[in-house]
This record gives sequence, structure tokens and C-alpha cells, in this order.
Amino acid sequence: MDIPYTVTARPDTGLYNAKVGIWLFLASEVMLFGGLFSSYIFLRVGADYPWPVHELNVTLGFINTLVLIGSSVTVLLAWASLKLRRIGAYKLYMLITVLCAATFMVNKTFEYKAKFEHYSVTLTDGTILTGHLPHGYSLEFGDVKTLNLTVAGKTSAVDADPVKYVLPYVKGDVPKFRTEAGEEITLDAASFAKLKAEAHAKAVEKAKAEQLKEVPNWSVKLTAAAPLTFSVPPSKLLAKPAPGATMIAFRDGTSVEGRMINDKMTLEVDGVDLRATPDKEKSLAWNEHYLGSAWKKAFIEQRDHAIAEFNEKYGDGKGGTTRDPNKSATHQKHQFFMHLHSAKPESHGADGAHKAEAHAPAGHGEAHASHHPEVQLERKDVQFFSNFTPKLNSYYAIYFTLTGLHGMHVVAGALVLAYFLVCNGRMLREDPERLANRVEVGGLFWHFVDLVWIFLFPLLYLL
Amino acid sequence: MADSPQEIQKAVRKILWIGAILIVFTVITVALSYVELPSHSWNLIVGMIVATFKAALVALVFMHLNHEAKLIYKILAFTTVFALAIFLLIYFTSLDPLEFARF
Amino acid sequence: MSAAAHTHDHTHDHAHDHHEPGFIGKYVFSTDHKVIGIQYAISGLLFLLFGFFLMLLMRWSIAYPGQPIPGFDIVSRLPVIGGIFNEMIGRWAPGGVVNGELYNMLGAMHGTIMVFLGIVPLGFAGFVNFVMPLQIGTIDMAFPRLNMWSYWLFFISGVGMLASFFLGTGSVQTGWTMYSPLASTTAVAVTNIWMHGHTWWLLSMVFNISASLLGSVNVITTVINLRAKGMSWMRMPFFCWAMFIVAFLLLLAFPPLEVAALLQFSDRVFGSSFFLPTGLMEGGQHLDISGGGSPLLYQHLFWFLAHPEVYVLILPAFAILAEVIPANTRRPLWGYKAMVYGGLTLGFLSFLVWAHHMYLTGMGTMMSTYFQITTVLISVPSVILLTGLMISLYGGSIRFTPQMLFASAFLPMFGIGGLTGLPLAFTFIDLALHDTYYVIGHFHYVVAPGSIFAFFAGVYHWYPKATGRKMNDLLGKLHFWPSLVGMNLVFAPMFIQGMGGFHRRWYDGGKYFEQTSSASNWFTELTSGFFGLFGMEVPNNLLGLNVLMTFGAIILMLGQVPFILNFFLSIKGGEKVTSDNPWNCTTLEWATPTPPPHGNFTFDIVAVRGPYEYSVPGMNQDYFPQWESEPGKAAEPSAVPSAPAAAAHH
Ligand code: HEM
Ligand SMILES: [Cu+2]
Repeated sequence: MDIPYTVTARPDTGLYNAKVGIWLFLASEVMLFGGLFSSYIFLRVGADYPWPVHELNVTLGFINTLVLIGSSVTVLLAWASLKLRRIGAYKLYMLITVLCAATFMVNKTFEYKAKFEHYSVTLTDGTILTGHLPHGYSLEFGDVKTLNLTVAGKTSAVDADPVKYVLPYVKGDVPKFRTEAGEEITLDAASFAKLKAEAHAKAVEKAKAEQLKEVPNWSVKLTAAAPLTFSVPPSKLLAKPAPGATMIAFRDGTSVEGRMINDKMTLEVDGVDLRATPDKEKSLAWNEHYLGSAWKKAFIEQRDHAIAEFNEKYGDGKGGTTRDPNKSATHQKHQFFMHLHSAKPESHGADGAHKAEAHAPAGHGEAHASHHPEVQLERKDVQFFSNFTPKLNSYYAIYFTLTGLHGMHVVAGALVLAYFLVCNGRMLREDPERLANRVEVGGLFWHFVDLVWIFLFPLLYLL
Repeated sequence: MADSPQEIQKAVRKILWIGAILIVFTVITVALSYVELPSHSWNLIVGMIVATFKAALVALVFMHLNHEAKLIYKILAFTTVFALAIFLLIYFTSLDPLEFARF
Repeated sequence: MSAAAHTHDHTHDHAHDHHEPGFIGKYVFSTDHKVIGIQYAISGLLFLLFGFFLMLLMRWSIAYPGQPIPGFDIVSRLPVIGGIFNEMIGRWAPGGVVNGELYNMLGAMHGTIMVFLGIVPLGFAGFVNFVMPLQIGTIDMAFPRLNMWSYWLFFISGVGMLASFFLGTGSVQTGWTMYSPLASTTAVAVTNIWMHGHTWWLLSMVFNISASLLGSVNVITTVINLRAKGMSWMRMPFFCWAMFIVAFLLLLAFPPLEVAALLQFSDRVFGSSFFLPTGLMEGGQHLDISGGGSPLLYQHLFWFLAHPEVYVLILPAFAILAEVIPANTRRPLWGYKAMVYGGLTLGFLSFLVWAHHMYLTGMGTMMSTYFQITTVLISVPSVILLTGLMISLYGGSIRFTPQMLFASAFLPMFGIGGLTGLPLAFTFIDLALHDTYYVIGHFHYVVAPGSIFAFFAGVYHWYPKATGRKMNDLLGKLHFWPSLVGMNLVFAPMFIQGMGGFHRRWYDGGKYFEQTSSASNWFTELTSGFFGLFGMEVPNNLLGLNVLMTFGAIILMLGQVPFILNFFLSIKGGEKVTSDNPWNCTTLEWATPTPPPHGNFTFDIVAVRGPYEYSVPGMNQDYFPQWESEPGKAAEPSAVPSAPAAAAHH
């Protein structure tokens, strides 16, 4: 008993089963990416910040486009070779296709990695500084004498687990702790489990004694033998502490009291974006202990140069311009978005230092550290910061979602093609026509992946 | 479907040609994006036209949609309508004259 | 198998076709469409039962807020079940009292489980897998192994959903619609976001959606390419047509929901702001987000799926009734063609009406007007389908088997559900009724005494084909009558409460909203008078109706006991069928041996006539099966032209 039309086409529809199946699947993929592209449009139309243009690494994107087009061609050649029973050529082309997919993904990895290491900080006046964090970013919080744990009465979303969520951030050696009962312990998984069980038992007892409906939460105090200092990234805390906070809470609900020693953020600035700053010349960025007046001068030079150039290009001869400078996104960027290429401002000539070219930080390492001014941002001046991840803004959110999903399709497609190449040896010998159908169907999926990229590349990298 | 060896040979030549055209148009896309048209919307429109052209080549030639069974066209026609619906209707809700939709 | 199938060469690499698979291969990881269909159906029924149980807890809390659930102590002390119950639900209900938190979990999971894990798997996946390949006369689905994968993906999604109850956070709490920004921001600051009920919900949905997509690819391909010889499009039973349309709805509408789920996942786990506007505050504090997104986007993506989804819930019901009603009235289906085209129109339009769920979002008047128009338009094909079934009754000699009872109750019940939808289509009325119990009443009338009744009818109808035995008639009637009464007692008062302004998500049933709940009318008076007869004090106002509804739910619950007994006892103890076609039907599934073996048909099947030739004048039997050239004689494959030319078009 065989399912009909797995190899030959059904006469009245002219299709074999897998062909119908893959086209239906592609139809649903069209709707998947349709939904995503329509989210893209919606977010772009509603964006309340200048939509980034040419901000990603165009070269990498361009190479990846070529790679995908090439692989689309080779997968077809593989199919044609198989049809002609040129087995060697078939295998070679399939291999190239899979290697292209691998190249694509490697490039993507580089691109993503560069983004993860690059930061953007919005100051309270709307000024945006971009750059790298040479030492990462951790709050330093000291003078801590006790850990206040909360053991939840019933399982809950936040339950004490200091071994996993607090101790890793202690600076230096972890001292011994004294429990409320006066016992001296080394805090580790085993001793904490014991503490937790005791606390829970007490809570249950209390619930019984007072006829409570619910087992209450139980707080446990652990006193450190020596004062503790923490060095903890804000993302590992339950909530971002206010500037100068005297208490912080870790993700497991454990809170500690003490003193904020240092919550300054050291940023190697490689860009200043003043488009959202109301008064560009009074931006916080020009504070002497930040970028200072020398950079401000450089900025004013760049801005005036951009304006002059704009007037020259679009002047109508009567003192006005044929284009509205406020509506030209490029002009706004040329005026107000400055890239910093050196530790100290050079005096700019007229030779295109204003160019807001795509400045991918790929490959920035320690060696380049001195190529940018380093500033110490105070927490009270920082409104929002993030590395270049979905959190940064809706552009990066949709960028990562679209390219991430597309990347998953690339991987899936490559796996399927590799499977045909590696695991279908027997079918190749015994029923090459059926394998050719499979390759054709796999190829259709592969072309679709290429087709999506054809739209993604301009929408995300270029326009 | 190209099934005889000669037809397949011919198809291969066509595939290589189309591949080359796609590469050329990729270069054109990148170059055009650096040209300042009267407004950025124009860049977007031109860029999308080129991209649609490239996508059409892929769909018609690489995916053989230039000669496919009628049923596939029917399925894709409906898909296109619904995809357009989700594009346009969602977009329109953000363009209402009363401007309520914009949060 | 048709002659055309013989023309292709028989090389293949399915070793398993040649030897009998073991128990696991046959009943667990089976690729046989019938087994998979039954797996889906039973899972669906179990999930429906579980979702029903969640609903009972909610109804208790609504009628008697602050009072312990009866039997809570007993259940929580049971050996194994008690432990599971406590971990799942008990620990959220101190002293057996449902609190707001638990109520929200119950509500969200009730909706999700009923829609995505109950009705769709049972009504669509279960019935389509079991019946459709038989009805079009083929041996299996087009991609049997993919079919098995779909089931297991669905299974994983079900397990993920259920497991989320056991997490430290409990399950998701933000309604089955998961509206952002609430759903994007609640309880994000937790120890481990990956072990959060909401995260599990979203990931389970991704599995569920993938399963539906693969399943619908399979169904459509099968209908397109595997129809038996002579089975042209217009000879296809309406069942297959409706399921074909449903498969398209799933295929094209589900992906945007997948997008919505992924974006919300990104919002919660990666901190993005797809659905979060700039400057969003919570508890007086600015959230640590970039903003720039839009809550409206979520609703668009969600309802782009969820409106077509309501037709995914109802079309299988029409599909089943189009088989059950002609078989029990011994009359052809009235207006077969009109119903087919009506179904196609319905499917098409269902993609263009979604924002009638969003009138109150401030979407803007122009778009509201557009969506009002399409919504009113779509009720036309809905009415065509209902009318077709209704007129099919006319002049029939009706056999009131249990399936027919359910089928005939469906018609008025769906009618009420559909008609109460119409007012909602207009913005000015929806302004008052949106998010009230009226809406809940509207869609429950369509889905509960609508779809679910139809599915019961389907179970009674095809049970003999699957097992070789009929289900018991008396138990069937004992199932039907309490169900009908219970359903109406639960859902009818909702309209009254809704028009009185009851919000749909009050966990205390409106107790703290005296202004609203103190209204009374003749219905509340009747209710309190009725309970007064039994010495129960039920207030003569809208709150009193809560008690009535809860009693309705209990009657409904009792009504399911005969069904469960019937379902299991009849496997061994039901009346044995004496023929392969016990109901004297006309469609191809009744041409198979009972139960159908692997490969289904024992002779080369051809369809030589339309699907509903009942009571053909001049014949001495009142049905003329599709596969017979003359009564009692199977048609020869040569009886139809080799390539069914008419098949390509409709
Ligand atoms: C016959 C024509 C129908 C019309 C004109 C209609 C109209 C509507 C409208 C306007 C709403 C939104 C009410 C609001 O939220 O304020 C609604 C809600 C709903 N309808 Fe219908 N409907 C129809 C049929 C159906 C059918 C056949 C089903 C399901 C099988 C259904 C299921 C639902 C559901 C589930 C909701 C509420 C979803 C939610 O908010 O949770 N409707 N209907
Ligand atoms: Cu709707």
C-alpha cells in the first residue's frame, strides 16, 4: 500500500504531493513574514525617534546577500545535475549550498556579537551617547553587614536562593555568616537548604498556631563575619536602584542595606546623537567632566559645515532652500549626529568629516581603546541605557526578530539540504527521481529564504 | 517542467543569467540607497520597487512560478490578498483622520 | 486504490509498510490517520473536561465569592490526586477560597485550553484525520509521518500548558487574549523569567501553532491530491469542504499569532518594547524600557488570527452536521452548492473583519466603519450555512438518535449565538456591551451548545465505524437533555447580566459593584422565586443570576457523566453493528470494513455520484451510496473516465 502521487504528478492537478505541501507551507511562511513586515511598518510609522538608516554593517549585509543568491543558484544547479544523473556535480553543488548557509550564519554571528558589545546611553536631556564599556558595567555597593532573605511560604516567582543569585557578586572572598541562632556557617547550597527548611518549618508552625489560612513568608537574617562589597550588573537586580540608593534587592528577593560606592558608568564614546536634545549647545554631553567644550566646538563645526553644504546643494538662490531642512532625515543626521574617531577632537577641515557613514564597531578591541574619549557618566544623568539588543529601541527589536527568525530558517533549510546530501544515499542510487523531487522541494524553501532576505537587506540595512 | 536533458541545459543557462542579474541589482540597490532623492520616502519606494523586481525574478524563475499548476496560483493569490490585508489595514489604522490610533 | 495510483512505480523505502508494527508503533507513535484522529479526539475531550473543571471553580467563586469550594478539603487529602490538585490549584486557594490571582489563572487557562487544546484538536484535527481520508476514498493522509509529528507537537504544547500550573509562578494570569501592555509587563521582575508561567504559555503556543500549521498542510494536500477516482470537487461531502476551508484558515491566520507570541516573548524576556508605548508607567514608576511600540499592534496580530479562529471553531460543527442531518432525516442536504460557496465566502471574509474586536481601542472611525461593514457582510454566509441545515430537516422522516438530538439542538443554539453577535457588530452598541458578560454569552452560545454539541453528534455518529459498536441510546439521551438544560441555564442569563453592565472579568461576580448588581427585573424575580421554593435565599437582582448559572454548570457537569460512561463502556459492551454501514449512509467512509484496517478499503473505490443521494425517487432503498453503480453493487473503476476531468474545477 502506497500513498499515491509521491513521485509522479496527479494528472488533473499536475502536482505531486510534496509540491503541494511545500507551497502551502510557503504560503503560511508568507503570512508569518507578512505579520512581521507589517509590524515593521507599524513600528516605523509610529516611531518617535529618527529611524536608523545605514546604521548596520552594510558590507557584511551585502556579502551575505551575495552568498544567499549564490546558494540559490547552486541549489538549482544541484537539482539540474541530479536530473541529468551527474551525481558528482550534484554532490558538489549541494555541498557548496550548505557551505554558503554556514558562511551566512558566521557573518551573522559577527554582526550580532558586535551589536551585543556596543552600548547606547540616553541622558536625561535626550542626548544619546554610543560607545563601549571597557570594564563592563557593574554597580559597586559596599558596607553590607547582613543579608535579608525572604523564604516564600508557598512557591512563588521570587524565592530566596542567595547561593545562586547573591554570592556570585561578592567582591573578594565570601566570608562566613552567622545565623540568627548564632551559628557560624559557610553559605553554600547544602547549608542554605537546611536554613530554608528550618525557616519553612517555622512558618508552617506559625500558621498552625495562629490559624492562618496561608503559610506566611519567613524572613531570615544572615550576618556576615566581615563587611561585604558587591559588584553587580544592574540586570541582576530586581529593580534598577535609584541614584544613591541605600538598599538593593537581588533577583531572588534578597535585599541588603549599605552604601553605593560607585554607580558611575565608564563609556568609551564613539558617537553623540543630539537629534532629540532640545538645546543642542546645552547638552549634558558638553559638561566639562564629560566630553567638554573641545568636542562641543567640533560638533558646532560639523553642524555649520553640514548646514552650509545643505544650503549650497539645495539653495534656491533667494536665501531659502528647495527642501525643508527639518524634514530631511539625512540632513538632520549630518547636523546632529557626530562620530568620534579619536581620543581628542582634531580640528576638522571641510573634507567630509561630517559624513555619518555606517560605523560598525566590528573588531573593536582593547587595542582601539584609546581611540575614543572615555567619560564617567553619573547615574543621575542617565535615563536609559542598553547594548544594541532588542531592548534598545523598536528598530533593533524588529531587526533582531526579523533577522533572527530568518537565520533560523537558513539553519533549518541548510539542515534539510544537508540531510538530503548525507542521509539519502540509498534513494540516490535506487530512486533518483524521487530524490530530485525532494531536492526541488527543499530548493523551493531555500529560494523563499533568499526571497525574504531580498526584502530584509534594504529594509534593515539601507533604507 | 523542464525534463528532457536539452531543456535542463537551457534552464541551467537561464539560472546563471538570472543569478548574475540579481547580483547586479543588489549592487544597484546599495548604490541607490546612498543617493539622496527628494525625500527619504522616495528612496524607500525606489528601493522597494527594485527589491520587488528581484523577488519576482526569484519567484518566477528560481521557483518556476512562470509555469506552475493553476492550483498553486490560486493558493498564492489568496495568500497575497490576506498578506496585503494585514499590511494595509493595520497601516490604515495608524493613519485615521482623527489620529486616535497613534499612541 | 484508484487506477491512477497503480500507474506509478512502487519503489519506496518504507520498511514499516511490510511488517506489523508493535503496540507502540500501532497506537502511540502511529502514522495511521485513524489512530492519530482518535488520539487527537481523546486528547481534545480530556482537555475539554479539564477546562470545564477550571470553569466550575470560576463559577463557584462568582456565585459564592470568599466561600470555600465545597469538597476542597476532601479532594486535597486524597492520596495522589490530592497532591497533584494541591500543587496545581490548592496552593493558590488558601482554605479553599478562590482569590483574584487564582481566578485570573483559571480564566486565562480555561480560555486557552478550551480553544486551542480542546475544540480545535477534537473538532478539527480529530474528526478530519479520522473521517476525511475515508470520505475522499484514500488510504491515508498525504504525509503520514508529518501527521504523527503534528500530533506530538500538539501534545508537547498541551503538556507545557498544564505544567505551567506547577511552576513557582503558577500559570499565566492575563486572560486568554494576553493583551499587552499588561501581559508584557506583569511579573517580569522575577528570579528566573524562563521558569515563568507566561513564558511557558508563549512557548507552548508556538508549539501549538506549529502543530496546526503542519496539520493543515497535510489536510489540504490530501484533499487536493488524494481524492479517489471519480471524487470530483463537487462530489466531495460538505464535511470535507468545510474542513478544507478550516485548514486554510489555520494555515494563513495562525502565523500572525505566532508573530504576536514571539514579539510578546521578546518583550518579556529580552526587554524589547514592541507593544509598549513610550513613557509607560507602572505603580508610579517609569518602566525601564525604551518604549516606541504600540499595544494596538498586539491586538491586530492577535485578532487577525482570532477572528478566523472562531470560524475554525464553528465550521467543523457545520461539517459534522452536514453528515449527521441527512443521515438521520433521510433527505439530501439542502443547497449543497450554496453551502459550499457560502463556506468559501465565509472563509475569505473571515480574514477581513478582525478589528470588530477592537472598536473600543480608539482605532478611529474610518476603520471602524470598514470593519462594521465587513462584519455585517460575513453574517450572510453564516446564515446561508445555518439555513441549509435547517431546511434539510423539512419533509424528512427524522430518526431521533442521540446524534440527531444534538444536531437539532445545535440549530437554535447557534442561531442565538449568531444573532446576538449581530448587535455587537455595530460600534455604537458595542460601546456598551464590549467586555461585558453579553459578549461572553454571545460566543459561548456559538461554541458550547453550538460547536461542542455538534462534536458530540459526531462522536455518536462515527463511533460505530471506529469501534464496531454503537453507543447506548438511553445514556445518549441522558447525556443530551441535562446538557441542553445546563448550557442554557449557564449562558442565557449572561445576556441579561451583560446588558446590565457586568464586566467579564470580575472574580467576585460583581459583589463589590452594587450600583450595577442591584438591578432587578422579571427574570431575576423568577430566579429568586424559584430558588425560594427550595428554601434557598437568592437575591432578587443580577447577583442572584450567578447562583442560577452555577447550578446550571453543575447540571451540565452531571450531564457529562452518562457520556463518559457511555464512551468507555460501549467499547466492549455496546450493541455490535451488523453491517459496515449501520446508519445506511451514502458517503465513502461507510464502504470500509469495520473498524477500517490499515489502508482502509478492501476494493478499488470509485465515486460515481454525489454525496447526499437519500430518498432518490423510484428506488426501493432510501439511500444510494456514492460507491455503488446500482444498489448493492460497487462500481467498477472503469465506470468513470480515467482522469476525472471535472475534478480540476469547481
Ligand atoms: C454570525 C456572526 C457573528 C458576528 C456578527 C459576531 C460579532 C462579534 C463581535 C462584534 C464581537 C466583539 C465583541 C466585543 O468584544 O465587544 C464578537 C466576539 C466574539 N465572538 Fe462573535 N460574531 C459572530 C459569530 C461568531 C462565531 C461563529 C463565533 C465562534 C465560533 C464567535 C466567537 C466570538 C468570540 C470567541 C468572541 C469574543 C472574544 C473575546 O473577546 O474574548 N462569534 N463577535
Ligand atoms: Cu470576531
